[in-house]
Amino acid sequence: MTRRATIVGAVALAAIAGVLVAWFLVLPRLRPHVFNAQVIQGVAAPSVSLEGPGGEPVALTDFEDKVVVLYFGYTFCPDVCPITLAKVARARDMLGDAGEDVQVVMITVDPERDTPEVLADYAAAFDPTFIGLTGDPADIDRIATTYGVYYKAEESTSSAGYLVDHTSTVMVVDRNGELKLLVSFDATDVELAEDLDYLVG
Amino acid sequence: MRRRWILWIAIPGVLVVIGVMAFAIFEPIQVLPRIRIGPGYSLVDQAAQPFTSEDVRGDIVLYSFGFEQCGERCAGMEQTVRDVRARLDEVDTGDVDVRFVTMSLDPGHDNPNSLAIQAERAGADGAEWRYVTGDPEHVSNVIRAGFRAYYEPEDDGTIAFDPKLVLVDGWGVIRGEYRYQTVASDADKIIRHLDVLAEEIRNATGAATVAYEAAHFFLCYP
Repeated sequence: MTRRATIVGAVALAAIAGVLVAWFLVLPRLRPHVFNAQVIQGVAAPSVSLEGPGGEPVALTDFEDKVVVLYFGYTFCPDVCPITLAKVARARDMLGDAGEDVQVVMITVDPERDTPEVLADYAAAFDPTFIGLTGDPADIDRIATTYGVYYKAEESTSSAGYLVDHTSTVMVVDRNGELKLLVSFDATDVELAEDLDYLVG
Repeated sequence: MRRRWILWIAIPGVLVVIGVMAFAIFEPIQVLPRIRIGPGYSLVDQAAQPFTSEDVRGDIVLYSFGFEQCGERCAGMEQTVRDVRARLDEVDTGDVDVRFVTMSLDPGHDNPNSLAIQAERAGADGAEWRYVTGDPEHVSNVIRAGFRAYYEPEDDGTIAFDPKLVLVDGWGVIRGEYRYQTVASDADKIIRHLDVLAEEIRNATGAATVAYEAAHFFLCYP
């Protein structure tokens, strides 16, 4: 009887240990949240080091305790950029206080016209916490390239001068500094908010 | 009564552990790794037409690298691309197109005319298989920083390079890298990987996404 009780106890302990391991180590990462965006798990975000709103150096690693929403656009952008940034602002608002753990960073693909001051005003118009980054065109090209972003200046009859055709995907970098999500232009603010909520939670 | 309480905990716990271990060991779902995001680019093709990474968004792309004077060193890679292209009917990619792009390692010299010569020599047509080049600094960013492929002009005018093929999915994520070994083995491996990738694209929707994420989590890689 004693031997049997010992075996049953050992099995029960092993089972409890198994459940605890699954609960604390595995399940949190397999939490049944199906991301709306495309997931890229376990990929370190390419490094970013550019000029911030006051011309000061800003690196992606400065926000390593936050979830970073990264967007490549420009201030003369007539449609896609304001639509996207307004959507990101709404998604961040939907998170309530948790939204403070989300840092939105816009990197210009038009460094010729987007000075730090111009970018700062533009980004703040969507949300005072948004940050715009600019820098040397060669650095912008390298960074955009490594994030899978294409951009090209196109002639235009617009009074604003040339336009810049560019990739409209939004990237999300998680708290571990990993490039986690690719969010398409078609995603809604609610879908983005659900994914961000999971990442900041 | 007490024994039943223990069983209520033990049985589900054991089942969870067995299930997790079985998934990790038997790999019922295999996926290609998400290696890193592939580069964005704005280049020009052999017909002197603009060609950008947005033009292949949603397509699976097999990238290769070469230059006009490459000769035999590139012939093997070109043969591999031809073999993969000829065997695409072995893979059910559904609505997803498979495209081929060969990037110039000599953008200072290659232009649409020289690209057209290379394309004709390789048997590439303009629609599915593009030869592309562009501004040397941009091409350097794309190939070196984006694809992490080595190439370096030599003093004698030739170019030292790392023979490499890269498989990229419709989101622009690198899913396979193949250092050229032998023609047959490369084509076999790439076809097998195309099959795995196409299956993930077809099936990883809705609730099944969780199972595919589990496969990525447990590194169920072929």
